[in-house]
Amino acid sequence: MMAAAWTVYLKELVDALRDRRTLLVVLLSSVAIGPAVLVLISQLVAGIEKRAEAREVVVHGIAHAPTLRNYLERQTYIVREAPAGYEQQIKDSKLGDPVLVVPATFEADLARGQPPVVELLASATNQRSQTGSGPVLRLLRGFNQEQATLRLAVRGVSPAALEALRIEERDLADPASRAAQLSAMVPFFVLMAVLYGALNAALDTTAGERERGSLEPLLMNPSPRLALVLGKWGAVASVGILIAVLSCLSFLPGQWLLRSEALSAMFRFGIGEAAAFVGLLLPLAGALAAVLMAIAIRCKTFKEAQANATIVVLAVSMLPLVTIFNQEGQAPWHLWVPALAQTTLMGRVLRGEALPWTDVALTVAVSALLAAAAIAFVARTLRTAALK
Amino acid sequence: MIEVQELRKRFTQGRGAKARTVLAVDGVSFTAADGRITGLLGPNGAGKTTTLRIAAALITPDAGSVRVDGIDVAMQPNAALARMGVLSDARGLYPRLTARENIVYYGRLHGMTRPAAAARAEALARMLDMQPLLDRRTDGFSQGERMKTALARALVHDPAHIVLDEPTNGLDVLATRSLRDTLRRLRDDQGKCIVFSTHIMQEVERLCDHVVVVAHGRTVAVGSVAELNAASGQADFEETFVDLAFSADERRQTQATGGAA
Repeated sequence: MMAAAWTVYLKELVDALRDRRTLLVVLLSSVAIGPAVLVLISQLVAGIEKRAEAREVVVHGIAHAPTLRNYLERQTYIVREAPAGYEQQIKDSKLGDPVLVVPATFEADLARGQPPVVELLASATNQRSQTGSGPVLRLLRGFNQEQATLRLAVRGVSPAALEALRIEERDLADPASRAAQLSAMVPFFVLMAVLYGALNAALDTTAGERERGSLEPLLMNPSPRLALVLGKWGAVASVGILIAVLSCLSFLPGQWLLRSEALSAMFRFGIGEAAAFVGLLLPLAGALAAVLMAIAIRCKTFKEAQANATIVVLAVSMLPLVTIFNQEGQAPWHLWVPALAQTTLMGRVLRGEALPWTDVALTVAVSALLAAAAIAFVARTLRTAALK
Repeated sequence: MIEVQELRKRFTQGRGAKARTVLAVDGVSFTAADGRITGLLGPNGAGKTTTLRIAAALITPDAGSVRVDGIDVAMQPNAALARMGVLSDARGLYPRLTARENIVYYGRLHGMTRPAAAARAEALARMLDMQPLLDRRTDGFSQGERMKTALARALVHDPAHIVLDEPTNGLDVLATRSLRDTLRRLRDDQGKCIVFSTHIMQEVERLCDHVVVVAHGRTVAVGSVAELNAASGQADFEETFVDLAFSADERRQTQATGGAA
């Protein structure tokens, strides 16, 4: 029995690995895409950081407001004169900064105690100018506050009278859990790698075998059906886990490419995390392989099986979203749902939290049960499938 | 020796109110002796493929039995399959494996060691004249090349019994001839018990020592070509076959439609 299963396993593995074109597509879509997204995000964040570091304010007519200029420069901001035609440039997204427009009467109004009206130009369709207006608004509020405090002080009122309460922000996240924010996308990509790795092999060994008419002759060998199914299943799960390993490894060099230092600090994914991921995904690879085979064995053609397998693909890609949209935090039932359970546990690995063995054992047990049921179904269906 | 006794098999098509039962096999009996080629001759839909699938343990019969050297196929399918090489209607190969790998894979599944299976693949390639094909991937093989590979695969464990379901389907005349030669050699040199099904009379005339005529799921006549001709009083085997396999009504209908066309 085991000898036959081993023979089938080796043959299916060779067969799947020789399917170079499919493997290449899988590698591109699930192994290369993760690091690519990582690098893209790093570019984006690096751009934002650069703007924050630049500490520049673009102003039109700063000459009319020496007081404001003085305040801005004391906040170590560089004041830059707006280019000609700045309105059009913002509209066309050619100018990435919001523009502050100061009226000619600024200083006079201020002296008379009348609030001068300044305009901050940004466009909702110009994303960069939008994100840039936050800091400028904060600066202007600071200017307001300073002027008000000065006026009160002149009249002998304590500035504290203006402050009913004082706010101090404190970030409770430790560096590891802050790192998890960016790394949170890694489990998703690795999960999809397992799925896409197993998908083609699973369909090829069942519906594909049926379609090319090799299932009937295969069943005329004196091997137990369970041995045939076990061998096929082992090969499919192996291909899935192989792609997952490659996907995990691809994130290791991927993070060297991170442009932003702050970002590299936020992304914690080393050999240890990769190994834990693979360990957690092993049982899931087994379960997914078996479920995909169970779905595909009922289909007459590869194409039909692909259409049917979409349900699994959709479920596996949607389940991790529960952790994002669920406001209640982690619920105990998350660990009972394959794919969701693995995403949850991988998240814990990334945050540097402990993995209680009971939780791991639970996910392994659920996956094993699912795999066993699906394998039994495939073994039972194999003969009827061969004849139709 | 393969003994088929009073096989019966009923299939249910559809479900619920639309369910319809089809009596595919309704009393097929014959004996195929060692060292002889037994032909299962019958029109399309006569129940030949179902009979051979029951013999290959793919379907369990409702009644009756198939025995291979006294081993009941339904009771001990694996022991029976170990003595049989079956070339079924479906003869799909693995396109990403070479012909040799396809053959050796089946040898391994029959419990042979890798060297033994490899040696057997060489020997079969010599016998079937397909040595140049051995190390090519089967993707892109012609029908004849596919058939040779599938036959080699079915014979890898050197079975005493060879069962072939319409083996000449889709083959050109040269490939058909070469297959006939191979089957004769297997009979004469190695004394194999060969059963093959077909709906082509010429094939039966040229090859078979023993003919089993099957129609409407039943064995309607058994004997050599000469015996069957003598029994029905015809000189031409085609006439004999039409007499035996089709009812008077069916014959009249075919003539009527033929005349109209």
